[in-house]
Amino acid sequence: MATQDRSSQKLPQAAKPAAEGEPHLPMGRELTEAHRFAYAALCGVSLAQLFPEPEQRPFCTEFVAGLVKWLDLSEAVLPTMTAFASGLGGEGADMFAQILLKDPILKDDPLMITQDLLSFSLKDGRYDARARVLVCHVTSLLRVPLEELDLLEETFLESLKESKEEESETAEASRKKKENRRKWKRYLLIGLATVGGGTVIGVTGGLAAPLVAAGAATIIGSAGAAALGSVAGIAVMTSLFGAAGAGLTGYKMKKRVGAIEEFTFLPLSEGRQLHITIAITGWLASGKYRTFSAPWAALARSREQYCLAWEAKYLMELGNALETILSGLANMVAQEALKYTVLSGIVAALTWPASLLSVANVIDNPWGVCLHRSAEVGKHLAHILLSRQQGRRPVTLIGFSLGARVIYFCLQEMEQEKDCQGIIEDVVLLGAPVEGEAKHWEPFRKVVSGRIINGYCRGDWLLSFVYRTSSVQLRVAGLQPVLLQDRRVENVDLTSVVSGHLDYAKQMDIILKAVGIRTKPSWDGKGLSLAPGSLPHEEPHQAAATSSDKTTNQDGQTQGPASRDTPKAAASPDPSQDQVPTGLDQSEGASLPAAASPAKSSHICSHGVGPNPLGCPNCTSETQEPCPGLD
Amino acid sequence: MDEDVLTTLKILIIGESGVGKSSLLLRFTDDTFDPELAATIGVDFKVKTISVDGNKAKLAIWDTAGQERFRTLTPSYYRGAQGVILVYDVTRRDTFVKLDNWLNELETYCTRNDIVNMLVGNKIDKENREVDRNEGLKFARKHSMLFIEASAKTCDGVQCAFEELVEKIIQTPGLWESENQNKGMKLTHREEGQGGGACGGYCSVL
Repeated sequence: MATQDRSSQKLPQAAKPAAEGEPHLPMGRELTEAHRFAYAALCGVSLAQLFPEPEQRPFCTEFVAGLVKWLDLSEAVLPTMTAFASGLGGEGADMFAQILLKDPILKDDPLMITQDLLSFSLKDGRYDARARVLVCHVTSLLRVPLEELDLLEETFLESLKESKEEESETAEASRKKKENRRKWKRYLLIGLATVGGGTVIGVTGGLAAPLVAAGAATIIGSAGAAALGSVAGIAVMTSLFGAAGAGLTGYKMKKRVGAIEEFTFLPLSEGRQLHITIAITGWLASGKYRTFSAPWAALARSREQYCLAWEAKYLMELGNALETILSGLANMVAQEALKYTVLSGIVAALTWPASLLSVANVIDNPWGVCLHRSAEVGKHLAHILLSRQQGRRPVTLIGFSLGARVIYFCLQEMEQEKDCQGIIEDVVLLGAPVEGEAKHWEPFRKVVSGRIINGYCRGDWLLSFVYRTSSVQLRVAGLQPVLLQDRRVENVDLTSVVSGHLDYAKQMDIILKAVGIRTKPSWDGKGLSLAPGSLPHEEPHQAAATSSDKTTNQDGQTQGPASRDTPKAAASPDPSQDQVPTGLDQSEGASLPAAASPAKSSHICSHGVGPNPLGCPNCTSETQEPCPGLD
Repeated sequence: MDEDVLTTLKILIIGESGVGKSSLLLRFTDDTFDPELAATIGVDFKVKTISVDGNKAKLAIWDTAGQERFRTLTPSYYRGAQGVILVYDVTRRDTFVKLDNWLNELETYCTRNDIVNMLVGNKIDKENREVDRNEGLKFARKHSMLFIEASAKTCDGVQCAFEELVEKIIQTPGLWESENQNKGMKLTHREEGQGGGACGGYCSVL
């Protein structure tokens, strides 16, 4: 509850001390020469460890050279620092950190280094994602909690305002160019789509460039349209026809093309921060999860978070299909399927039950549509990020299911652009219906500065089912780890947390914790139970079952759907009461879910659903809180 | 080129301020001499590949600053070093006397005990010699070090010093083979760390 208040209050406070940031900036120079050297060396060695790829070399050397100047170190150390930054320093990072920690000034306040490094990183009015990864790395080497860094970043936010605005002006020319290109591409798509299916297109997108003025959202279309007639526009058009021809024929081959119908960023939080998080929802279910923001209620990675609203119509269809297939007959059969899935790891030789196949068309069509659309949306997102609509600051992308697919294609698209580095900090793909072979993920190392997290579930039979006819089914990222050797890649097995594909939305708070993304501290269980709305007898029970599942079900993931069914009978009387109002609140309070929900959950718990062995769904989720300790 | 390099060796140059550590290194790597060379800040770092007995070895040479104010940094360079070049100035007895301090530091911070040490008496081109060659030799023997007198200015003995050191290191297989093993260990360690981290987050959930 308090989280929301805190985050919104902090901003005005933080703004003041930073107003004249300059005077205290050169703090690094107050250190002794030896320590300045160690400080620069620490950064150099860390950079080399974090970004050993040759294409990152220019950034590393430039950064270190700038730092040497910033710290007033002699030019003579430049070759050494460059050597450090290109990986020749060896294993010295923690050594240098130790030395720095022994400094009398720093001993009491190691945060000074973080602060200094942050000012240095921001001095040009942009915040490179790689710089942020470095700052985080150095901060943790100096054993400073990362929360401190968040506070610092906020303090600097205000002082950056001016420089950022200038920056956006200088970048305008290049941005326009890209917008043009995108615009043209889109027009061509419209043409194709009209021939193919008569899709109407009206893309409104863009992320408010937050450092300009609150609320002054940049609509992508407008600037691009203005430049269409310009010489640059024509030049871009010509190059487009020349170079992108193959891409267009690719589009033509698919009937369901159509560019994007809906693409908007919804704010998930009120605050502003130097780095942002964009969450991408995979489908829209009925009831509580009918909004894009609903699954992300617990997400607290940045103070400035957005959620991407895309193709609601199709995602809704998909959500309905998913629910249909998960309820009733298919569910029973799926238990059988699940056993195979879990036991064999992957459904390689599994023959799907005929009963399941008979309802396959329910899912196949919306799935196919969304599959394609998510790719388009991902590409669109890539160009938005590349054109720095979000400002020059690091972005973290989190998505589940088709949302993860959006990210995948976003990265894929970005990777092909020249200046794609230093924009994306972390990406989190949960249950991603994408190619999981390492070689497809390898290019992402160029784009992503921080971590690439792949959360997968070995027993996600739905994912394996929709891929049953596809050749990629043996290596879907959402079903298995991505075996790419890189410091960035982290595979998190969510099998015991996620018992079915739908859980990615419902268990998001737990999943986020599992993959190491900060969640709202007061968020105890997010009432994952309170699924109201049109299917009152489906959702709440599933949620209750899965949450209680987790407390007991350590040994076998096979129990997932089984226990999902059994409580249905037991828990049936209670949920229908409070759910309709809850659902309404949820969808309205998209931007302040944290504030709204805990209060709500206590209200509902007070309904005292005593006799039920599982308890009221919400109480279940609360009692879940102590469970972490048990393990 | 990296393919036929037998191993990468980490060499450290230590000694009092102004004895000519950087000059020795500069002579060895670039074959130049600068009488007005400025004091080293922190550490200087150079890489050179040399061939000893048909074996190519890549030397990563860390040239430390002798000045007192950078002394706090020096311990950090010792780790993983396979060879140490200890330099004194034959025209300044105090730099010879303080060798004991340096040896102490070496013992304190070195991560292995079979490390190859070499004592170099520099500036033998100068006339006002204060430390006799035999004294140096005696000291080196006492502490089982290699010994050579050299002059960075005239190029006397510089190449020889490095070559001999490398030869000795290569003749001590445990020393440089273990380097590769160390690398392997480090990698697995890092992976473990990652796994542990993920696991930590994971367990807290259940």
